[in-house]
This record gives sequence, C-alpha cells and structure tokens, in this order.
Amino acid sequence: MRANGCRAVFFSMAFSDTRVGFARPRIRCARILFLALASLLVLFLTLPLVALVVRALPLGLDAWLNETTLAALQLSLTTATLSALIAFGVGTPVAYLLARENFRGKAVVDTLIDLPMVLPPAVAGIALLMAFGRRGLLGATFSAFGIELPFTTAAVVIAETFVAAPFYVRSAKAGFGAVDRRLEQMSALLGVSDWKTFWRVTLPLAAPSVVSGLLMTWARALGEFGATIMFAGNFPGRTQTMPLAIYSGLEANLDSALALSLILVIVSFGVLLAIRQVSPKGLTLG
Amino acid sequence: MLSLVIHKQLDAFALDLRLDAPTKKIIVLFGASGAGKSLTLAAIAGFMTPDAGRIAIDERVLLDVARGVNLAPQARKIGMVRQDLALFPHLSAADNIAYGMTGARAAKMTRVRELLQLVRLAEFGARKPSELSGGQQQRIALARALAIEPALLLLDEPFSALDLGTRMELRRELKDLQRRLQQSMIFVTHDLGEAALLADEMAVLDQGRVLQFATPNAILRAPRNVRVAQIVGVKNILPAQVIHSNRVRIGARELETLATTFAPGAKVFACIRSERVLLVRRESPTQTHPNEMAGELLDEESDGNDVTLRFRVEGARLQPRENFDLQIDMPVYVYERLQLARERQWRISLKPNVLHLVST
Repeated sequence: MRANGCRAVFFSMAFSDTRVGFARPRIRCARILFLALASLLVLFLTLPLVALVVRALPLGLDAWLNETTLAALQLSLTTATLSALIAFGVGTPVAYLLARENFRGKAVVDTLIDLPMVLPPAVAGIALLMAFGRRGLLGATFSAFGIELPFTTAAVVIAETFVAAPFYVRSAKAGFGAVDRRLEQMSALLGVSDWKTFWRVTLPLAAPSVVSGLLMTWARALGEFGATIMFAGNFPGRTQTMPLAIYSGLEANLDSALALSLILVIVSFGVLLAIRQVSPKGLTLG
Repeated sequence: MLSLVIHKQLDAFALDLRLDAPTKKIIVLFGASGAGKSLTLAAIAGFMTPDAGRIAIDERVLLDVARGVNLAPQARKIGMVRQDLALFPHLSAADNIAYGMTGARAAKMTRVRELLQLVRLAEFGARKPSELSGGQQQRIALARALAIEPALLLLDEPFSALDLGTRMELRRELKDLQRRLQQSMIFVTHDLGEAALLADEMAVLDQGRVLQFATPNAILRAPRNVRVAQIVGVKNILPAQVIHSNRVRIGARELETLATTFAPGAKVFACIRSERVLLVRRESPTQTHPNEMAGELLDEESDGNDVTLRFRVEGARLQPRENFDLQIDMPVYVYERLQLARERQWRISLKPNVLHLVST
C-alpha cells in the first residue's frame, strides 16, 4: 500500500498532474526521495571545491606570486575586461534591436547570437582560425595591412568575446524588453530624441540586467579555455590566460595551477554573488 | 481651433473621427472603453500614424497624410498625462519635471520650483515616484507635461486609479489650473460624472466615431439619438409615436411634449432621465396635469448615495413589454424624506420638458 502510494506520487509528479489530490503521508515519501537526491548533488558539487581549497590553502607564497601566475592573472583580467567592454559596445544595439524591433530574419539572428553559448569552444577556436587565421577568409586581407591576429593577445580577446558576448546580449535583451515602451513614448513627447531617450530612460531602467549580463560575460571570458588555446595559443605573458596556465601547470607546476584554480573559484563565486545583488531575479539567461 | 480628422483601420476596429473644437478649453472625449478614445490620443501624440487624416492646432499642422506632413512626437509640443506609468521611476519628482526642459540649468531649476508650487508639491521635489502617493504622482506628471509649455495637453483617464476623495480634489485643481493658464486640454474619460464636471464641451465617442459634440448640459438634456442617450445614461428610453407637434403616444398613453420638429406619425424614442421624474403625493391638491399618472412602486435598490425605484403606472402602460414602466433615481435623503419605504402609491409627473424625443 505504501509502496503503491509512493509510485503514485512519483507518477503524478512526472506528469505534473495537479488535478489529483494526495493525502499527506503519501507526499512524505516523495519528499524524502527528493531530499536524498538533492543532497547527493549538492555533495557532488561541493566535494571537488573542498578538495581544491584543502590543497591550495596551505601553499607557500611562491605558488601564488610567481611570475607565470601573476602574468596569467594580469592577462586574464585585461582580456576579460576588454571582452566585456566590446560586448557592451556592439552587443547593446543588438540586444536593443532584438528586444524592440520586428524585422525579417529576427529569429535567425536571435539563434545565431545564442549559438556560441552551446557550441563547443574548440569548434569556436577552429572557426575563428578559419576566419581570421593566416589562411582564413579574412586572413589575407589582414596580412595585406600587416595585421596578424592568431597567437596574439588580440586573438585572446577575440576568442573570449566570441564565446562570452552572447551572455551579455541575452541578459541585456531581457532587460530592454522589460522597459515599458510607453516610458520611451513619453520621453519622445517631452521633446527628447530617441538616442537621448535610450541613455536617459531605457538604459538606466535596464541597468540591472545590463550589469548582470556584463558580469556574466566577464566571468565567462575569464574562464575561457578551448577557443583561446586553439586561436591564440598558449604563450606565457602573451596569450596564456589563467585557465591556460592551469592546464600547463598540471605538468610543470601543480602548485601554481592549484593557486590559480582557487583564485578562479573565488572570483566566479564573487561574480555570482554580485549578479544576485544587482538583479532581483538572480542569474537569468534570458 | 483644434481640428481632428483621423482614419485608422485596425483588424477589428475602425477609427473614423472628425472633430472641430475650440482651443483654450477642456474638451472631454467621453465613451466606453473600446470607443477609440486612447487611439485618438495616440494619433494626436504621434505614436500611431493614421491611414488618412489631418491634425491641426490653430495654424500648426501636426499631421496631414495627404500632404505627407507627419511631425515626430518630439516636434509636436503635446503634453500627456496618463493613468498609469505616469513618471520615470528612476528620476526624482524634480528631475521628472525638468526632463523635457531645455536651456540653462539655473533657469530650469527656477521653473521646476514654480511648477512644483503650481501643483502644490513644493516640498516633494527630491522624492522618487515610488515615494509619492498616486495623487501626488499625477500632480507631478501634470507639472512635467506643462513644463514643455505644450500647445495641447492630453489627459488619458489620469485620475481613474485614484480614490474618490483624491479624484474629486484633482478634478477641481485641474479645472482651476486650466482657467488660470488658459491651457488647451483634451481629457479622456469613461466616467460621465467626471466628463460633465470637467468639460467645457464634450464629444461622445462610440465605435470610433463622434456621435455628438456639445456642452455636457446640452448632451445630457438632449442626446442626439438613442445610442447617445444610452451612453449618457438615460434609463427610460421608450418607443413612441408623434401625434402632432407637441403630443406623443407612448405605449397606450398620450403625453404632452415641448414642440418638436418630427412629423405626425413619426416613430421616435422618448428619453426620460430617471432623476428628472417628479413624484407627487396622491392626496396633494395639485391640479391633474395631462402628463400625470398614478403609479405603484414595485421595487427599489440603493448604492448608498442614490436609490433606484421602479414604478408601474396605472391604466394605460408606457412599456407594455416590461414589468415596470419607469425608472426613477433620487438621492437617499430625498427617498427618506418622502418616506417611500412606507408609501408605495404615488402620482408620477412627467413635465413636458422632461420628455426628449430622438429618432431611432
């Protein structure tokens, strides 16, 4: 009878049939099952982090402050910040248009923007090489002007922007979409141009989503690995960002790798907390 | 002169509005929701482009579809106050008012202070909209709209969301402000009392058309047709036939009216406003008027302020198809004064000027 009840509850939840009412004792066994599964996942997610902290914390100053680590840290912060700024500059108009206008091919553009979020970063890296590499579509053109993109710091920024910018566009689009159009109309009627209306009304009101989008983009750029290593290579001081330095450190210097990993964990955690602060809905992906 | 010709075909609705109205007055657009009031305002503000038409304030043409004139909202000099979302939520009251102003900062500040005083909120400039009451928000919205010195101020049910007391107060203030500033206004409402209170002249809108445009008094006393009578709340609309210039047959009874232009035999409707019917005590010694009849009070209901009474007349009926003949409304205190709860038999007097005849 009890087992039967449990099955019935499970069945009802699987099909989320709210029309069927159940007596209290029957709900309890579903609850226990849920709590058990939830605890398992939380434990699974926590354990590696704990392991990392346990190994990284006792490390000497040398692991944290050696030349490779500091170079990687500086490069990562610079490139991730540049990526976030580029995403803001070119992503904002895209987000606004997607939120406000209806145009032919909007669904295609929308999907295209989202694509890098699900694309394996290695594919992104290959694709970037095929576009901007020496033998890529635009490579010859760039070469003619003496510009070599691959394996430069610029390539790091390009790879990070490619992978991370969609996070900004998604979030900003949701933010712009939530600003009531009648406020923009009212601004126009008060004699203020569309351009100024955007800066004085739309952007300030969408600020929580814009800022949390920027934070997400920055964090994603900071963690970018696959596209960077393929398109920009792994040169210390030039293209070796923190994730790349961790990868190299696995063979050369595990202590630095651990130290960098812990820094990334702390930064990521901080970013998520910050997003929670600015955005009332927490982490939203559109 | 405010001149509006607006044609707009939507999926399930057509706006076909023509209106010439004086400036420096409060013009009320009155009608049920869906009558086309807000769409008309959208066209005037430039949020919606009509298929055809012309909008002009005195000599200034805002829109002339035939000539390709269509000013952007920014260039129209139109103020607007709407029911909800009146203010920019992220700006203080003062910044909201200053939003559309141009010129030097000091001059702006002075003007903002003047406007805050005008709407009697001098102390509230620093507050955010969320820190203001609904009535205060609407006052700030009004100040903001006036700040650009608009050629025309549009008010889209601005007081509907407010409580009754605040609504009454703001209506009075608005009317007073209009008189002082001589500001041209179009005020949209579905509330007949509000329309009658505010309007210098009002337009009755129905299904995208202006059915009648006149002073509230003229419309209430003499609606142009049955639809207008229904819209402006005439409760007794009785089928009638003209006998001669000042006699009609209603139901099986002949009644006297003021002289009309309808031809004898014409089928018309007699509109009788429920608050203009007189009740006379049976035993009172007044002379029996041809429009007087005995009646019995069938039922009554009250909303606390007014009582609605349904009467059936003795003898020849006025509305053979209904179970009552006349609806009468009166304030509760009159009801109590007349002791209607005890006395059910009355004489009903319909003065000739109470019967207003309209074509079908």
